[in-house]
Amino acid sequence: MKRRQFIQAAGATALSTPLIMAPMVNSAKAQAATVRWWYHFDNPQNTPNDLIAQFEKDNPGIKIQAESIPWGGGGDYYTRLFAAIVAKNAPDCAMVKLSSQAQLLEMDALEPLDGHIKNWAGKADISDNIWNVNKAQDGKQYYLPLQYVVLYLYYRADWLQAAGLQPPKTFEEFLAAAKAMTKGDVSGFGMRGGGGGHDNWAPFIIGNGATFAKGGMVNEQALAGNRFYVSLARDHKVTPASAASDGFRQIVDGFKAERTGMIIHHIGSANELVTALGDKVSAVPVPRPANGKGWTMFGDESNAVLSGSKNKDAAFKWISFLSSGGNNVAFNKLTGQLPVTTSGASSWTLHPKRFVDASAASLPLAGVLPDSPKTADFARTVWPTSMQRALLGQITSDEMMKTIEAHYNG
Amino acid sequence: MMDRRSPLQRLFELHLPLLVIVLFALGPYVWMMMTSIKTNTDIGAWPVRYWPQAFTSEHYHALLERTSFGGNLVNSFIIATGACMLGLSVSLPAAYAFSRYRFRGRRLLMTQFLVINMFPIVLIIIPLFVLMRNIGLLDTFIGIILGHSTFAVPFSIWMLTSYMNAIPKDLDEAARIDGATTLEVLRLIILPVIMPGLVTTGIYIFVTSWNEYLFAMMLSGQNVRTVTVALQLFIGEFSVQWGLLTAAGTLIALPVTLLFLLVQKRLVSGLTSGAVKS
Amino acid sequence: MTTASDTEPAPPLVLTPYLFLLPAMLVTLAVVLWPVAETVWMSLHNFILFKPRNVPFIGLGNFWRLLHDEVFWLSLGHSLVWISLVVGLQFLLGLATALLLNQSFWWRSLARSLVIIPWALPSVIIGLTWTWMYDYNVGVLNDVFLRFGLIDKPVAWLAQPNSAFFSIVVALIWQGFPFFAVTILAGLQTISAELYEAADIDGATRFQRLRFITLPAIADVIATALLLRTIWVANSLDVILVMTGGGPGYSTYTLPLYAFLKAYSGMEFGYGSALAIMLTLLLLLVVFIYVRRAARELDQ
Repeated sequence: MKRRQFIQAAGATALSTPLIMAPMVNSAKAQAATVRWWYHFDNPQNTPNDLIAQFEKDNPGIKIQAESIPWGGGGDYYTRLFAAIVAKNAPDCAMVKLSSQAQLLEMDALEPLDGHIKNWAGKADISDNIWNVNKAQDGKQYYLPLQYVVLYLYYRADWLQAAGLQPPKTFEEFLAAAKAMTKGDVSGFGMRGGGGGHDNWAPFIIGNGATFAKGGMVNEQALAGNRFYVSLARDHKVTPASAASDGFRQIVDGFKAERTGMIIHHIGSANELVTALGDKVSAVPVPRPANGKGWTMFGDESNAVLSGSKNKDAAFKWISFLSSGGNNVAFNKLTGQLPVTTSGASSWTLHPKRFVDASAASLPLAGVLPDSPKTADFARTVWPTSMQRALLGQITSDEMMKTIEAHYNG
Repeated sequence: MMDRRSPLQRLFELHLPLLVIVLFALGPYVWMMMTSIKTNTDIGAWPVRYWPQAFTSEHYHALLERTSFGGNLVNSFIIATGACMLGLSVSLPAAYAFSRYRFRGRRLLMTQFLVINMFPIVLIIIPLFVLMRNIGLLDTFIGIILGHSTFAVPFSIWMLTSYMNAIPKDLDEAARIDGATTLEVLRLIILPVIMPGLVTTGIYIFVTSWNEYLFAMMLSGQNVRTVTVALQLFIGEFSVQWGLLTAAGTLIALPVTLLFLLVQKRLVSGLTSGAVKS
Repeated sequence: MTTASDTEPAPPLVLTPYLFLLPAMLVTLAVVLWPVAETVWMSLHNFILFKPRNVPFIGLGNFWRLLHDEVFWLSLGHSLVWISLVVGLQFLLGLATALLLNQSFWWRSLARSLVIIPWALPSVIIGLTWTWMYDYNVGVLNDVFLRFGLIDKPVAWLAQPNSAFFSIVVALIWQGFPFFAVTILAGLQTISAELYEAADIDGATRFQRLRFITLPAIADVIATALLLRTIWVANSLDVILVMTGGGPGYSTYTLPLYAFLKAYSGMEFGYGSALAIMLTLLLLLVVFIYVRRAARELDQ
């Protein structure tokens, strides 16, 4: 339950309490070191050069060599990273996600940061619970949190109002809203059956009581949740005909083109959607089952120091620089995600307030996929393939859940 | 050769079918080009806006001024030219050997060059990465050019051999009787006649190297990043920069097309222009 | 594989051809030999990239598993249909284009340069552009077809198994036919004009000229181009990866894509390598048949 608590705490602080800016101490010791750092940004027009210049000014003797690595759906980035580790050519530090922590640890590629963090002045500006969610299974801290997003439901406020409905809170209300908005060539819900769609699916399945533990994907609630999700497309037909192949790009394009009434995504698309639709788009947390539980996806990103680095102290200085107060805010303005520092969250203005609020209101529900080496393959192939087969009617909804159960616990 | 068809016949048998083919080839490219001069609002509109409300060059400005694309184009050009030169210079003698000599292991060696081409690159890429790292060629032009030669050389050898086989052997023998050495035969007799084949093969290597992604992604770092890798940077985790991407796509096709426009005259040399007669 | 000495009288042992071959051998073998050897080693182990401490030797276990893997057989089936359709149609369209472009007319150099454009684009761009054109919600194809009344509601091209498969085939034909056009065009240049003049005197029809002069003269080039293209298409996966990633379901899985996903998504490099080696062996069979057949003409 550590993760749940963190996320609640983060939500609380992000929302209300303006925190004291943690003092930053950058003792400029004379040492000559070049720190190689790998990152990926969504917009190639943004560069971290200003942050680097500031850091190098504060820390004479440390040079930052930043390399942007193609994301390639996550595959290219991690292929490069793994290959570099195998060839003993890894960078000193890199942006990483929790879904790869287990694999990186299995390769002995991560450096524990506990010692460094203990003496780091910015430690208090990141809540204890954020630290806990990023803790590895062996209890050590390898990841230094950098940014996050949380998935919620975007909806067409004007269409719902015209139908005389409130933004949906439960699965039943969600279905009713989707049905009300489905007419002509408009579909109520832009379902994502292509790569990455497990984020949108999980609220209906894990939220309904499924777990990744043994038998957790084939218990009654898990099966019922998946039957509901599949029936949105197959029985109620409130999704576009292209749902089985739609990825992130397609659901956002469909929503922008006013062809769908609701999609599940996070604050990263807020500004793009507002540019296209203005006040007609708003957001609430994802729907929950009648019993009030619920779940949504927490999208994390951290920095880690690689165990092969010869400049671990300098590397930590750089990544801790990025996770401190104002620098973290500047960094997140480049990536379009949300700052992890409580001081940064209190002064956040990059996104319209209703989406920041929806993110915060979603935090109590938010969790991550299991810290298992099998998760990467689940997200990239097992889930899309079985979901698409279920949507096409090649397998039943229950068979799909058995496939997922077999992947994790077979 | 004389064409005795009437203009009407030529219209239906030549101009119209070719026009259809050219339109098919051009359609998606033109669509991409149109997209690259639309504003972001017009790009995702439905129904599709064929004629945008306003034209803009903002994507090209952003591409060339705010990303490293210009430098990446230069890198790609160096690599493709290098792969082309390396490929042709080692393949031409090899093809000559295969075409003009009968020697032990000839067929085995020819097959061997094909087998090299058959192995899916995706699976040799990690061992190759380790190898390049060990010999210090990571993130260098030479490293990527060598990587590209794995598909360029086998292809060139096979294509050049088949073009050379089409040249009558009497030509070389006549020259030999006149006292020419092997290298002179290759340079003075074979080379001019095989020029169209050589140009085609060169274009093939250039194009394939220009468009190659996997080697370039794995073997390059910040120093020699190619356009294909740079393109991938426009496709982020949560957004696709359509404007930048289509502007880049439009520009990427230009050098190859211009190159072809320049060298295509060469394609009409060779035997038809009378090498045999003289 | 039969060596030259089986079928031919032993040729004199001259050094020149070997010297000519040496540079090409050095360049390719240096780069390919070690990685391929490594891949063979991996295929005999249960090698999972993120478990470098535990790599048990399992002999032919990966190959045994592969024979009982229904996704392997499915992917193989797709690959066969795929290769014959894509290479066959690329070739026919390329041949037609080359024959047209070989005639003389006022816009020939323009046409020659424009036709090459699809081939001059990186696969990533091709995959994304076509995916976008096929898009259900905002795709230009649906829009055009709707305007012309060819369909009465938008079609989800990439979401149905059959249409997804053929949609990708169309995109790949588009990408690859310029290769055949250019290659065959260069082959056409090596045909002596005298042959045509002689045929004209004999009063041959244009079809007869094509059938009895043009095609036989470029048969060797065509065969080589077909062979190389088959190998290339059989191994390529980038456009499929971008357009559907193999989906919906397993509808667009091909062998190299399956090997790729096993290796890079599942990190099962052992099994992925076994799949890759199987693909190479199957291709080798094709090449063997080709070389046996071509040997007769080549060795004249």
